[in-house]
Amino acid sequence: MDAVLSVKDLNVVFSGFKALKGVNLEVYDNEIVTIIGPNGAGKSTLLDAIVGKSPVASGHVFYQGKEITNRSPHQVARMGVGRKFQNPNVYNQLTVFDNILLALKGSHGILASITAKLTKAKKGRIYDVLERTTLLDQAFEQVDSLSHGQKQWVEIGMVLAQDPSIVLLDEPTAGMTAKETRMTGEIIKSIAQTHSVVVIEHDMEFVKQIAERIVVLHQGSVLAEGSVEEVQSNREVIEVYLGREAISTAA
Amino acid sequence: MANAVLGYKQSTFPTKLVIISLIGLLIFAVLPFVLGTFQLSFLSKLMLFGTLAVSLDLVWGFTGILSFAHGVFFTLGGYASAYYLKLNLSAAANTYGVDIPDFMVWNGLEVLPWFIAPLKYFPIALLATVAVPALFAYIIGYFIFRSKVSGVYITIITLAIASALTTFFVSQQAYTGGTNGITDVSSLSFFGSEIPPIGLYFIILAYAAFVLALSWWLTQSNFGLVLRSINENEKRIAFLGYDVAQYKIFIWTLSAAMAGMAGGLFVPLNRFISPVYLAVAFGTQVVIWVAIGGRGTLIGPFIAAILLGQFQNYADRVTQDWQLIVGILLLVVVLFIPNGLMSLLPERFSLANLSKPTRISPRAPSEQKS
Repeated sequence: MDAVLSVKDLNVVFSGFKALKGVNLEVYDNEIVTIIGPNGAGKSTLLDAIVGKSPVASGHVFYQGKEITNRSPHQVARMGVGRKFQNPNVYNQLTVFDNILLALKGSHGILASITAKLTKAKKGRIYDVLERTTLLDQAFEQVDSLSHGQKQWVEIGMVLAQDPSIVLLDEPTAGMTAKETRMTGEIIKSIAQTHSVVVIEHDMEFVKQIAERIVVLHQGSVLAEGSVEEVQSNREVIEVYLGREAISTAA
Repeated sequence: MANAVLGYKQSTFPTKLVIISLIGLLIFAVLPFVLGTFQLSFLSKLMLFGTLAVSLDLVWGFTGILSFAHGVFFTLGGYASAYYLKLNLSAAANTYGVDIPDFMVWNGLEVLPWFIAPLKYFPIALLATVAVPALFAYIIGYFIFRSKVSGVYITIITLAIASALTTFFVSQQAYTGGTNGITDVSSLSFFGSEIPPIGLYFIILAYAAFVLALSWWLTQSNFGLVLRSINENEKRIAFLGYDVAQYKIFIWTLSAAMAGMAGGLFVPLNRFISPVYLAVAFGTQVVIWVAIGGRGTLIGPFIAAILLGQFQNYADRVTQDWQLIVGILLLVVVLFIPNGLMSLLPERFSLANLSKPTRISPRAPSEQKS
């Protein structure tokens, strides 16, 4: 089976600093890949390079067999790669409804946006997204007035509304309460029924809740890859996390 | 037609807004019959400044691009129209009785330059009034926005453009009339008969209403939503698949075209155009109208331009230092009413509230009756 997303020997350099060194990654249909690793391991950079936000020095990114290396962000987004950022990157001045409406898949040209009508099909899609992200009751509230967790869901909703075939989520539970984190896990699982999902996460409890395959990044390279158990028992991983005790206490 | 889906009671027609607009239009339509000659043309002039402010509101208020170059677009349109009026002076009215303008004679030109000659014809002049500023804006916009220059740097570039063009127009005396600009132009005629001031007033009123309506229509659509999103966070909207540069170039060019036409209508009224309107000082005035009126409110900048113009007119009689008063007013507004005078109106009269469909509580699409 062909991978939805495949990253081959990827290198990203920031003014001499090698942020990513020969990273390989494959993501298949309807699976959840969780990327973990200490701060500065290059997790967010990897996502940035995939969506065209950070320039790739060498290596390739393929999406559904087509090369997308160094394409501009809007092109990658239009092809079907959805991205959620680390901090909730939503439109605070707009309502939840308008945020989702903006993100809705469709033609994003100028003429199309001027003449766009709020059709029944679109309303149906928005309803569906709001329902999946448990935001129905807040539909017409300005995003400003929502809790931090709810803002994260708005952004997940925006990614969903793009109807991407692959969803990239950068720390979707950052700043959430335990209850919100659990709900986010359920939301992600339900997304994975119809999409491929790549999640960057710190919270090991959460990783265990959602993870199918884990990739451990360390200093710009893939250190280990496998199931939760495999990764937790990996010598090198334990060494990297030693002192932080994240893996061992979580286990 | 109440079509209740997902919280929107989809009344496609913004009744309240239309009623308020019609009342406003009616007041402006009655005004010329009660005003004296001076006030009639003065108000015409202020309406054009108001329209110019609306055009800036589209790029600054909605899209977040602060421009000091809107005076430039206005003046480019103005020059196009001034050449037309100058070239259509009767031979008797032209000091030298020849078919090239007096200032060109003074500067030793003997042949009408090829790039000015076609402006003698009305359709070409009309087109140039809109197309020259629009093309100029498009070229600048293409380079600025495609090269991802943003924020304060754009503003600095617009300042530079205004200064550079002022210097350029002053230096090209033979073609532009230099510091004096183009003076002693003919009045605007329609099939041989001169358009009276009141006729000009209604043409300008129609144009102002058109610009306001077009701007409203654009900004309440999804397009307007995209503009506001660019304002708040342009990086994010690109990741949703929108070509931000394309949107910015479009609104920037459209805004310049609107400003150009306003400038074109300004000349038959003002009877001259000069580099004064290209300069940063005039560009700053436009920014002040928008800031005081309220960014992103459309009607706010329009009203602010008219009120401030009237205020300056009276203050001018009392003191030479009226600019000081305007400066203080600007400070007060920026510090205490950052969203402009329009934000003092009750929420239910806000543009968003008047144009949005009524909301009801959410319900699933399957439950709706259509």
